[in-house]
Amino acid sequence: MPVALLDAALHAVILGYLGAGALLAGLVMGGFSALLSFWSGWRENETLVRVGRRAFYAAAAMTVLAGVILEAALLTHDFSLAYVAEHTDLSTPIALVAAGFYGGQEGSLLYWTLVLALLGSASLVASARLGARLAAYAAGVLAAILAFFLFVLAVVASPFDLLSITPPDGLGLNPVLRDGGMLIHPPVVLAGFASFAIPFSFACAALLAGRADSAWIMHTRRFALLAWSLQSMGLLLGMWWAYHVLGWGGYWGWDPVENVALMPWLATTAYLHSSQVQEQRGRLRAWNFGLVITAFLLVVFGTFIVRSGVVPSVHTFAVSAIGPWFLGFLAACMIFSAALLAFRSGAIAVAKEAAPPLSREGAFVLQNLLLIGLVAVVMWGTILPLVSGLAGAERVVGAPYYERAAAPLFAVILGLLAVGPLLPWRQAGGPTLRALRWPAVAAAAVLVVTLVAGERSIGALVAIPLAAGAAATVLTIFARAARKPQVLVRRRRRYGAYLAHLGLVVVVVGIAASHFWQQEKDVTLAPGQQVSVAGYTLTYIGSDQRQLADHTEFGAVMRFGDQTLEPSRATYAGLGGQALTHVAITTTPVADVYVVLAQANEDGSASFRVFVNPLVTWIWAGGAIIILGVVLGNVGQRIPVPELARRRQTVTLPA
Amino acid sequence: MRVMLSWGLPAGVVAGCVGYLIYTASGGSAEYYVTVSQLRANAPAGDVRVAGVVQNDVQKSDGGLHITFTEKDGTASMPVEYTGTVPDIFKPGITVVAEGRLGSDGVFHARTLLAKCPSRFSTQPYTQ
Repeated sequence: MPVALLDAALHAVILGYLGAGALLAGLVMGGFSALLSFWSGWRENETLVRVGRRAFYAAAAMTVLAGVILEAALLTHDFSLAYVAEHTDLSTPIALVAAGFYGGQEGSLLYWTLVLALLGSASLVASARLGARLAAYAAGVLAAILAFFLFVLAVVASPFDLLSITPPDGLGLNPVLRDGGMLIHPPVVLAGFASFAIPFSFACAALLAGRADSAWIMHTRRFALLAWSLQSMGLLLGMWWAYHVLGWGGYWGWDPVENVALMPWLATTAYLHSSQVQEQRGRLRAWNFGLVITAFLLVVFGTFIVRSGVVPSVHTFAVSAIGPWFLGFLAACMIFSAALLAFRSGAIAVAKEAAPPLSREGAFVLQNLLLIGLVAVVMWGTILPLVSGLAGAERVVGAPYYERAAAPLFAVILGLLAVGPLLPWRQAGGPTLRALRWPAVAAAAVLVVTLVAGERSIGALVAIPLAAGAAATVLTIFARAARKPQVLVRRRRRYGAYLAHLGLVVVVVGIAASHFWQQEKDVTLAPGQQVSVAGYTLTYIGSDQRQLADHTEFGAVMRFGDQTLEPSRATYAGLGGQALTHVAITTTPVADVYVVLAQANEDGSASFRVFVNPLVTWIWAGGAIIILGVVLGNVGQRIPVPELARRRQTVTLPA
Repeated sequence: MRVMLSWGLPAGVVAGCVGYLIYTASGGSAEYYVTVSQLRANAPAGDVRVAGVVQNDVQKSDGGLHITFTEKDGTASMPVEYTGTVPDIFKPGITVVAEGRLGSDGVFHARTLLAKCPSRFSTQPYTQ
């Protein structure tokens, strides 16, 4: 046997077995860490608690090793690994080959696990200050979750399975996914999901340890914010990708896969607000435990739905053997956390006088209830096919259901966004109502303008003025702060949050405008002919056909003012003639002109679908403002030391 | 007790509203999701979604913006008519979900046409 061949075979064997071995070693360390942490926490043996924590770090290191090995196999085109052969090929650009790491079922699970391992380790480093018992239980819950994922990776869906014969080339990525958006959207979404395991673990640990104080909230605050920011970015990047690549003129279709990403975001949003009430006023303790647990269960539920294919979705994911395992994991998490809440929450609820309804607390409570109501609406729409299928005829709901059921709830939340920040804690009096005059004036003025402009749809007449009111509220707050600029720095976490509010308002305006005022037209044009949509005129110049390496491309040229738009349509012969649309989008100050080439005809004419989408760019800009608010408000902020700062207030319950 | 009361009232009101919204919205817009054979056997009133495989008789007209084809599942088939841009991956052999209603002429008039996306990432499993 020639030496080179032997080397190649040996190389493959080494990478494949090393990766599988790392996963197994990680599984053993993770399981050991979970058992030892629970036992040592129960016995309050600080030495063994430290050992349990170090075992978690070891499991994390093994996960990192497995990740490095998979990435190395991808970058060296090691097609002896089934995963590498199925998701990349030699012609794929190197950036997309690297992205193949999270581009498939097994790899994306490994990526999830990697994020969990790294962030989990980071959250445990300073956890000793929370007390041995809480820290140990947190490590135990984290290690149990990590061990579950490593088990699935090592036993059920391993990215290190070897092919019996090494193929000369791989299958490559589907062309729909050969896009820059592919590089960034999935890892952000998955990291947002994985990072919420940290608040969940510390919440469970606090319940197990019988600690009713807010130490766990302060300790995991950054992780909750990170999870929320990543989930927000993930949703917006998904919308951006759908809008720019899929070519149907929209960005959100209420598909189950989108819904299961939205639900954890709604619950996390609720938690970020209700945890404020506990930090500031000591209320809502039991509710916060419930919310964190709900948000994490929604993450696991989403993973199950996406990976198991139990509901009809436009996205058919590779249906694989991991579905039942995730269902089992979901059931275990639900039983565990329901039992925890049932046995502990009664003791944790601190009886206080009822909050007056017109106060900051009242606004937070109402906002939380509405967000959970939204989760219920989206959940019902998502599982209806399952529920109705069990009862007989399978039924599905589409966008009209979500618009009818969710819109009123969103409208009230938008109203709270305008009113809530100006209400004081405890009790609102006369001065507060005077503070609300600017938002009221802004909303009324915008309402009049919208009515005069001829808008008659109730949705737009509610959404746009309320958004104006909410923007006025944030501006009022910043105007007040500008009188004492040092407040902006001293309380920057709060002002960062208000900046994020402003970003959300910008997103809402973008969504409302593009939803209510989108226009579209289907048209077939001969060269030289024009089409006009919503006052924008496009001239069709001509089309051409190009034969490229693995696909044929039909391109059309359109003139728009002094700009040239080139929508095109590629056909991939190698993929059974699959087509891929390249949308041409040009952005004017008030709208996107969005042109899809439907077909180029033999006689030189071409058919188009032209959309005019008002203010879509506001959605992306608003997302950037939200992230800016989170960053300005939190990065570099001193981490509070919960145990020392709050020692006297710590309420310890009998374990 | 007052804690329960202060929580119970708003929670009850919101839960009632949400329940009402879900009930009315899903009553008005839920559609049956059926196969071609089920639709042939017993067509429900109103719009339905029908999943089936596109057959090898796709006819495009009006510059590709109007198409007709036959959608088939295991045993039954039906002609489908649709106006608009078709999804990128639409071609004979793929599974589509047509949303619309069966006309008295026996043709299914589709309002929307959803193609099953290729599995998010993999093209097809490697056959060894």
